[in-house]
Amino acid sequence: MDKEKTILIVDDMEINRIILAEIFKDNYNILQACNGDRAIEMLNGAYDISAVLLDLVMPGTDGLGVLRDMKKSGKIVAIPVFLITAEEDEKTLMEGYHLGAVDIIRKPFMSHFLKHRVNNIIELYGHRNDLAKVVEEQIARLNHLNQSMIEILATAVEFRDCESGEHVKRISGMTKALMTEVSNRYPEYYMTADEVDKISKSSVLHDVGKISIPDRILTKPGRLTPEEYEIMKLHTVKGYDFLMQFPDIIDESTYKYSCDICRYHHERWDGKGYPDGLKGDEIPIWAQVVSIADVYDALTAERVYKKPFSHEKALEMIKNGECGTFNPKLLEAFESLTNNWKNNN
Amino acid sequence: MKLFDDLKALGVNVNDGVNRLGGNENLYKRLLGTFAKTIKSYDIQPDFDEENYSEITEKAHAIKGIAGNLSITPIYEGYTQIVSLLRSSEPMHAKEVLKRILPIQNGIIECIEKNLN
Repeated sequence: MDKEKTILIVDDMEINRIILAEIFKDNYNILQACNGDRAIEMLNGAYDISAVLLDLVMPGTDGLGVLRDMKKSGKIVAIPVFLITAEEDEKTLMEGYHLGAVDIIRKPFMSHFLKHRVNNIIELYGHRNDLAKVVEEQIARLNHLNQSMIEILATAVEFRDCESGEHVKRISGMTKALMTEVSNRYPEYYMTADEVDKISKSSVLHDVGKISIPDRILTKPGRLTPEEYEIMKLHTVKGYDFLMQFPDIIDESTYKYSCDICRYHHERWDGKGYPDGLKGDEIPIWAQVVSIADVYDALTAERVYKKPFSHEKALEMIKNGECGTFNPKLLEAFESLTNNWKNNN
Repeated sequence: MKLFDDLKALGVNVNDGVNRLGGNENLYKRLLGTFAKTIKSYDIQPDFDEENYSEITEKAHAIKGIAGNLSITPIYEGYTQIVSLLRSSEPMHAKEVLKRILPIQNGIIECIEKNLN
């Protein structure tokens, strides 16, 4: 057996710690803690601990206290804990099991059996942890691959629109920054960093419906006729319908964001947007965020038919309502964010 | 070894204790010394408060654990009874067991100290 692994022995009685250390010293590195608080410190420190032998009755933070802390931090899933006990009542031991302990070590220790039990469980946990790591890496790889496919699809659509693919990347970055700003400023729009990340990734598909718009309209250099504009507006619904047909191409937890953003990123706060004429917070906040990012990027980017507007001009046009009406809280967050960017560049 | 023979005569299961340490007799001797110091510092006497004895219970519990691990059988068995009686709220009976066990305990401690010095 390798001596790469480390066991943490937690007991307020030095004699018990020394005996356990003697039993395991040939096969493991040994760490010792004489109370619960020190054990928690070591568990949260830089040590790579493979198992904990934990006394239940100790002054200060007792064994159950250490278990509670390990459960809270999630360490109990990866590190097996053996409870050391002389005669604790069934209720205490059951609580220990409920908190995640794997086994009970009774005093006096029976060295031979104890060695085998601890070795077996450490080996089992080692395999389980390795497997969990492999699965986690594979999921990350699959998610990355999936996101790449989605970005390829979004970029392909953009190429039809004579864009380079940079637009979707900028929208994704701006969506992340603005959603974070809005979430930090307004509790009613709070989202975790993980959700913000999903929204940002979902935003790249906002114009996927343009794949259904004929070239003569999509790439027309001049102003669209009212009829052509009506067809162009359909890209929101077409994109939504497209995603509805392929729910498996997007991770389940981001699917709702992608569909909402596709359909609602041209809705406006005053109800004058399209396709459904939603008003105010009937429009999901993630679609509102993408909508303002989309408008700003369209104004500040160069197109074959127009020069780019400056940040100040674009901001003025958005605030004046020249591109439709937006949520005032969103505008406030957007102005603050973009001014910060400008001042830092 | 005289210490081990004397302890065996007092009912200590020396072989079991040494085996628990993988046959390391020197370590066992060292731990016996630590045991003697610990048990003296705990100083549990039969005149403890019958209304408030949670601290005594904890100390008795600790002695039981280390006596068991060193296979000091008479002390281990005595304190097993004491802890059980204290946990069942029977301090009077626990005191009787303590009175009975203290002379045996003192004999074992004296034996350890005499031989280690």
